[in-house]
Amino acid sequence: MRTGKCGLSISFVIVLVAVVLALPSMMLGQTAAAKPSGGDGTSATHWSIQVDQVDPGNLELAYSFQLAIYENLVEELKKTKPFQEVIRDGDLKANEVPYLLMLKTTVEKYTPGSETRRAVTTASGATKLTVRTQLVTREGKVILERTVNGEVRFFGSNMRATHNLAKNIARAIKQSSRNELERPASALAGQL
Amino acid sequence: MDRPVGLRNQWDHPCRIHRRARWLLVAVICCGLTEAAQYSTQQKASKPFSIRATHLVGFENTKTNYRGTLSIQDDSLEFQQTGKSVAHIKISSVRDIFLGQESRQVGGLPLTLGEAAAPHGGGRVVSLFAHKKYDTLTLEYVDDHGGIHGAIFQLAKGHAELVKNELVAHGATINFHKDRSQNGRAAEARHENR
Repeated sequence: MRTGKCGLSISFVIVLVAVVLALPSMMLGQTAAAKPSGGDGTSATHWSIQVDQVDPGNLELAYSFQLAIYENLVEELKKTKPFQEVIRDGDLKANEVPYLLMLKTTVEKYTPGSETRRAVTTASGATKLTVRTQLVTREGKVILERTVNGEVRFFGSNMRATHNLAKNIARAIKQSSRNELERPASALAGQL
Repeated sequence: MDRPVGLRNQWDHPCRIHRRARWLLVAVICCGLTEAAQYSTQQKASKPFSIRATHLVGFENTKTNYRGTLSIQDDSLEFQQTGKSVAHIKISSVRDIFLGQESRQVGGLPLTLGEAAAPHGGGRVVSLFAHKKYDTLTLEYVDDHGGIHGAIFQLAKGHAELVKNELVAHGATINFHKDRSQNGRAAEARHENR
C-alpha cells in the first residue's frame, strides 16, 4: 500500500516537472505565433516620443517625486521600445524629428505613504499616485488619454511608487500603440 | 633753548613707545590673520569636496541604488565608485537643487525576511525601530542638447545641505519659483514622521 502511494507521488512529481518544463516553450511558441499576426508592427516605431516634465496640478507633490516620475518614464519607454526615439523635455533634437508625439503627465491624486507604517501595519501606509497621461501631436490633437495608477503597498521605499507608475504608463502606451499607432505614421499624420 | 629738549623728551616718553609698539603688534597680527585666511580659502578652492551618497535615479549611465561618492572639483560634479568616475556633469548645467528627507528601512532583504519569519508579529516591532532618516538631494540639470535631466541621491542626514552649499559656491543656480514643492516635501516628511 505504502509502495503504491510512493509511486503515485513520484509520478505526480514527474508530471509536474514535465508541465513546468513544457510551459515556457509553449508560451514562446504562442508569442512567436502572435507576432506576425499583429501586422507589420513597424508603424508605431515610426513615431518618436518627447517626454514632458510632470505637471503636479494643484497638488503638493515633492519635486523629487515629479523628477523621479519623469526619469522613470524616460527609462521605461526606452526599455519597452514602442517608439523609434525617446526625447527629453527641452531637447532641441525634437525640432528635427518628423513624427513626434508628446507625452503629457498630470498628477490627479497623490496619497503620501510611510514605509514605517507599511512595515508595521501591512494594511496602511501605502503611497499612491494617480496621473492622467496624454499622447499629443505637435498640432495639439490628443490621440491617447489614460488614467494610470502607481503605488507601493508592502515593500520598498515611497519613491518606488514612481517607478511602478512609470512602468504602468509605459505598459498602457505600449498596449494602445498596437491599436492607435499601428496605422502607418503618414496616414495618421494626414488624418490629424 | 630748553624747548627742543622738552619736545624730544615728550616724544621719547616710554608710555608713547609702548603704545606705538602695541599698534605695530596689532598691525602685524592683522596682516598675519589675513594671510592665513587667504591661504585657507585657496586651499579650500583647490581641495575637492567629496561625500558618500547613494544614487537613486536619473544620473546618466549610473545604476539605481548604486553606492559611491559624490565629488565636486572645479566645474564638475562627479559620481565615483572606488575612485573611478562613473558619471559627471558640469555644475553650470545644474538648474535647480532640492533637498528632502526620507525614512528607509535598514538591513535590506535579510532583515525583511527575518521580520517576516519572526513569530507572534515580532517582526513588526523590529521594523518600528529599524528605520533610519536620510537626506535626499534632487538635481535638475540640462544636457548639451538642452534636454532636462533629474538626478536623485540619498545622503546621510544633514549632508545634502553641505552638497547644496558647495554646488552653489561653484556656480550652480537655484530657482525659487518652485517653492510649492517645498510644501510637498514638508507634507511628505510630516506623513513619514507619524
